[in-house]
Amino acid sequence: MAASGAKQRLTGAVKQVTKSNFAAALQQFKAHIDTADFVAVSCRKTGDCSTSSLRHPWRRILPIDTPEIAYLKAKLAAESYDILQFAICPFRLHGSKVLAFPYNFHLFPRDELNLCMPSYSFSCQTSFLTSMAQEGFDFNACIKNGISYISRVQESMVKGRNPYPKIQPVHSCSSLSVVDSVFTSRIKSRVEHWWKACKDSNSKDDGALVKSLRKLILGAILFIEDRFRFRFISLLLISSTVLPKDNMESVQSTPNYPAELWAPYLKKFKTISHISDDLVPLVVPDKSGDPMAIYVVLTSSEEDKKLFMSEIQNIEDEQNLKVRGFREVIDVISSSNKPIIGYNCLHDFTFIHSKLIAPLPSTLGEFMCSLRLAFTNIVDVNHLSKEISALRKAKNLIAALSYLKRQFFVPIDIELPAEDEDYNNKAHGHNVLRITHLFATLCALLKLFPDGQIPLGQNIKAIEDYSNIFYPICVNLQESDDEELDYTMDVKKVSTDNLMFLWGFGHLTFKELKHSLQQVHDVFMNDFELQFMDKTCAAVVFSRSESADILLEEIRSGKFYSDSLLKKIPGLKAAGYEAYTKVCKLGLWEADLADSLENVTSKSNDVLLEPSAKDAYEVYWRNELAIDMNDY
Amino acid sequence: MTNLTLVWARSQALTLRLLPSLPRFRHFSAAADSDGGGVAVKKVTRSNFEAALEDLRTRVRESDFVAVDIEMTGVTSAPWRDSFEFDRSDVRYLKLKDSAEKFAVVQFGVCPFRWEASQSSFVAHPHNFYVFPRKELPVHGPSSEFLCQTTSIDFLAKYQFDFNACIHEGISYLSREQEAEAFKFLSSEYLDGLANSFCNLEEHVDIPLVRTSDLLFSERMKIRFQEWRTAILRSSSKCCTYEGGADDNDTQFQTVFFKMRPAIKLNGFSSNQLKLIQLVLRKHFKDLVYIRVADENFSWQRRVVYVDSEEDKALLKKEVQEDLIRNADEKVRSAVGFRHVVDLLASEGKLIVGHNCLLDLAHIYCKFFGPLPSSMDKFVSALHEKFPHIIDTKHLLNSSQAIQYLMKNNSKSLSSAFYRLCHNVSSVSQNFTSNTYLRFEVQADESGSSCFKSGASHEAGYDAFMTGCVFAQACSHMGIKFDMHTASCDLIRNEKIKKYINILYPSWNSRTVIHLDTGIENPDSSYRHKYPVIIFSNIVLIWGFPSKFKPKDLKELICKVFGRDSVISVFYIDRTSALIQFSKKELVNDFLVSKDSLERNNDPVSVLHPLTKLLEGGNTCAADYDTYRDICATSASKILFAEQADSLGISWKTKVGTGSQDIQDASCNEKTTADNSLIKHASGMNKVLKSQSKHQPSCGDILDSLYVSKSLLGKAMRST
Repeated sequence: MAASGAKQRLTGAVKQVTKSNFAAALQQFKAHIDTADFVAVSCRKTGDCSTSSLRHPWRRILPIDTPEIAYLKAKLAAESYDILQFAICPFRLHGSKVLAFPYNFHLFPRDELNLCMPSYSFSCQTSFLTSMAQEGFDFNACIKNGISYISRVQESMVKGRNPYPKIQPVHSCSSLSVVDSVFTSRIKSRVEHWWKACKDSNSKDDGALVKSLRKLILGAILFIEDRFRFRFISLLLISSTVLPKDNMESVQSTPNYPAELWAPYLKKFKTISHISDDLVPLVVPDKSGDPMAIYVVLTSSEEDKKLFMSEIQNIEDEQNLKVRGFREVIDVISSSNKPIIGYNCLHDFTFIHSKLIAPLPSTLGEFMCSLRLAFTNIVDVNHLSKEISALRKAKNLIAALSYLKRQFFVPIDIELPAEDEDYNNKAHGHNVLRITHLFATLCALLKLFPDGQIPLGQNIKAIEDYSNIFYPICVNLQESDDEELDYTMDVKKVSTDNLMFLWGFGHLTFKELKHSLQQVHDVFMNDFELQFMDKTCAAVVFSRSESADILLEEIRSGKFYSDSLLKKIPGLKAAGYEAYTKVCKLGLWEADLADSLENVTSKSNDVLLEPSAKDAYEVYWRNELAIDMNDY
Repeated sequence: MTNLTLVWARSQALTLRLLPSLPRFRHFSAAADSDGGGVAVKKVTRSNFEAALEDLRTRVRESDFVAVDIEMTGVTSAPWRDSFEFDRSDVRYLKLKDSAEKFAVVQFGVCPFRWEASQSSFVAHPHNFYVFPRKELPVHGPSSEFLCQTTSIDFLAKYQFDFNACIHEGISYLSREQEAEAFKFLSSEYLDGLANSFCNLEEHVDIPLVRTSDLLFSERMKIRFQEWRTAILRSSSKCCTYEGGADDNDTQFQTVFFKMRPAIKLNGFSSNQLKLIQLVLRKHFKDLVYIRVADENFSWQRRVVYVDSEEDKALLKKEVQEDLIRNADEKVRSAVGFRHVVDLLASEGKLIVGHNCLLDLAHIYCKFFGPLPSSMDKFVSALHEKFPHIIDTKHLLNSSQAIQYLMKNNSKSLSSAFYRLCHNVSSVSQNFTSNTYLRFEVQADESGSSCFKSGASHEAGYDAFMTGCVFAQACSHMGIKFDMHTASCDLIRNEKIKKYINILYPSWNSRTVIHLDTGIENPDSSYRHKYPVIIFSNIVLIWGFPSKFKPKDLKELICKVFGRDSVISVFYIDRTSALIQFSKKELVNDFLVSKDSLERNNDPVSVLHPLTKLLEGGNTCAADYDTYRDICATSASKILFAEQADSLGISWKTKVGTGSQDIQDASCNEKTTADNSLIKHASGMNKVLKSQSKHQPSCGDILDSLYVSKSLLGKAMRST
């Protein structure tokens, strides 16, 4: 099958996973991950920092941004927006043959635990929702049946807060106060009494009454009605909560102790296992994780005990899955150590990190370290595609793919699993197949695997050079609309030292500003370029390196704001790149850039105007930037 | 339009006949929820908006009052933005403003009620508008972004809110300001392009043709246009139309007619190529004009038009110009969308009825009129100008004795009030013959039309209907006679309800009401004083303290220092921030000063000071009540109050009042620059700690999570 053939079949080939088929899909997914060579990922979010926001155009990732600033902007987006679809495609690669198993998980950050998690609120960009709507996305299904999740850090914070019984590890407790030992022995005798009574009644009738009682109690607490088979013989509930009167058997011996009294006694439940081996203590925590009640379960035999223990374990696992939700999928990928293939990775992985691993750290370095702990090997196809120089201009996946199709003959045969009833016709999550396709094509073009075989092992030599380098897609400020096809996109590197920001020029247009600047100061007599960051602020790049220094020096001494300038452009202000960095670091995103710069510069003049030669950075005046994770 | 059937809301048989095909698509969990099963609510989306609007115009004009209700994507943008009893009225307004500015309106219920004397019943027309802030024009839209509160979205989903209808088919809107801006933008955009095409040759500087490909292209175009022109001229002299040659450029050069003139439709050229074409035309062809026209989908169409003469050229310019202006006008009018409904409500000056509607009104003002003013009194007076008569049924229920008696201490929620007061509408099974119950009819004038859905609570249209019913019923209980003989009832001027009109109450815990006509907020006797009076100047705000402190501990700690009776109350904003009310105003300053001096001195004695415990972690900040207001005024929405305080860029840790000890370091935003030696005073150490540990979960949490990943890794290694 040729590439085009594969494409036609894409419709319906992506398995759509929601809450209802999640558990089953997860098992299948694990198997596919195990056999895969690579895992492609792609997410659909409710918003992004790359799209044009009319109000704050400077919040997008721009070519003039240093990697640090690009990260801060991506972080802002990841913290405000949410993921609605997460497409993952484990695939195998044999030369031009790709065996792919695409999944598309529908997510919704539902607060399953009532703990304001995973997110209290999230932003939506109308344009994102509208374009999803045009693709026929079912928002009702997403909100109702989307899988929820919590991050690793969130999970460790709520650990033990879910009100389901657990098998408490029994600790021996050496020092008992008098009160404690009196209480313990009283409990012990009661449990013994109950245990004997059970044993006796057991021989007579394992009556329906006992069974139904058991069902009642456990059913009420576990919220698992039919699936849980009640194999064990008897159960004693020692609880501070008052149960219905008719649960005679279990409540008779319940001392009415307030909940907080239970904590010190928990450790002493060794006593119970001392009574008999067929008793299993179970602890039910309340919402804050403190124990609320203790069950004592009587099992009929050693096998029954084992069975019971494993059932409890299953419930716990099930609960954990419910709590972690989609996070389980990320854990599977993370632990598989398979190379992850993404497109525009900085965007996607800031989202993944903040939603599913931990809150985003404040610097790029920390982020990269933390990310590498979770995913050892990430390949940004966008970076890989830079190897083919013509692809540098491709602004998105589709453009890159169609370019390759036109220029090269690289037949890629994508083999997909057969459709079944779970697959519907909705064309969701196809981006991940495009990423797979692009990656396979690039591998073939760059002859990364000349013999067509992917070597086994964690580190695949061929892609090592390309992994963990992110190329954030950035937009050029000067491109006004899509309709204006850019034809002058040349690479131009500039040093941040030569970049300055101007604001306070009122409503001057581009031409007017450029014209009046030339009259304002000598430095503008030489060659310089201008870009608007938003309607209040412009970036200037000087071709001569000393121009910016002269200007900064004059601003510092106050000479800049003297007579001549104020006549031409009253209110004009300027600052170096440092001020911009500071605005981003402080997160003053809410305002126009001019206001934020004003805020930063007016507060501490000296620091900001120092020409900071030490951390001068090469940025692009209008091209892409790369972030190398290996640097960190 | 024919009024085919009048449906008695209480008569189920009729109702069912009207809505035969509607499945019962709602289920109700709570018994208090009234099932509006039989009430037909008109669903309005983009597709039927124009017609529904025209229909609504007459309905509103004829109505006696209009009930409104809205559903939005959330209420509080952060947990600490909830309404608290410790909120001063300015803080309360800031919270209201934040909510209205951040969240979107997704459903707007409008229900005009008219007293029909001949039927001796009220006739209601519930409308349920789906609203979505879609960007319809390439200018500042309603909002490019809005916030969703997860629990609110979940809540809407639980009550069967149709998100698909909202996002796919919701009606967009522009505020008045945006409308003017959009029109200005569109017309200037249009006319600029036009001026470009008709300008004279001399005025334009040629773009130098550097690239060979450009030169070749220009030359090719020149020849192409020449051919076309001669063909046109030749054919026109022969009085027959030009037959385009069937060459490969055919799809790019489509010969069409434009305003009765022969023209070429240019397709598939790059912007650079189009620029070159313009140059060529300007340079070589005086009688060919390049123009841009906008089509229905807002994309530009490029045409090259042949003109006979200079006069013809001027004529063409005028025609195109008129077209463009008309087009822009139409576009903007349709983009104004839902605001037409709000304008209608405002211009008709009818009595507007809402239930607990202050937030709704703030949304309406913010979305459809303009940015919310900076203070409550300004907002209230601006609102009063737009809507001169507003009545809040919640206030009515709370303050009218007669209704208090009927409600018998039941919850004042809308559905419960509806259930209590309007048995006859809410429950169809019982037969009420009593005259005290008013009758309501819901009119569905396009029977069988699919846009009528059976209403249900928490759907804006049905909630508006319930609000109106509750209001009318309450009026009747208060002794207003609706009878056969009054053609229309002038509720606005009715003495009995006059005292409830234009009075809103800001929050359940404010104990005050706001008079919309005067902008004055004052205490109201109908709201009982549950809490002791709060003296705001006695309050200290602290944040960033360790979350292990319980309110009890905090109080104990402070009482140890300032005396047993020093603290009146401690209120927790969230787990790391609190407001403490002292018994005396001096204590506020005492507290701040002693906290500050504790931070400055690192001597061993200060370690024994009880407050030191509170300062553990080095992030504890303290300030007065005004700082609380300032933090509430910031626009970010961090989950924790302490994080939000940071976004204000506060660098001091203790805001000591205007005393001699003015350490209030005005230079904000310093916490990240370590190299400013001036700021590096005693708390320098803490600052380092602060920048490391702030907002981040505790070290333990991170270690835990890393451990998880490690153990997973280990597992995988073992299994392979």
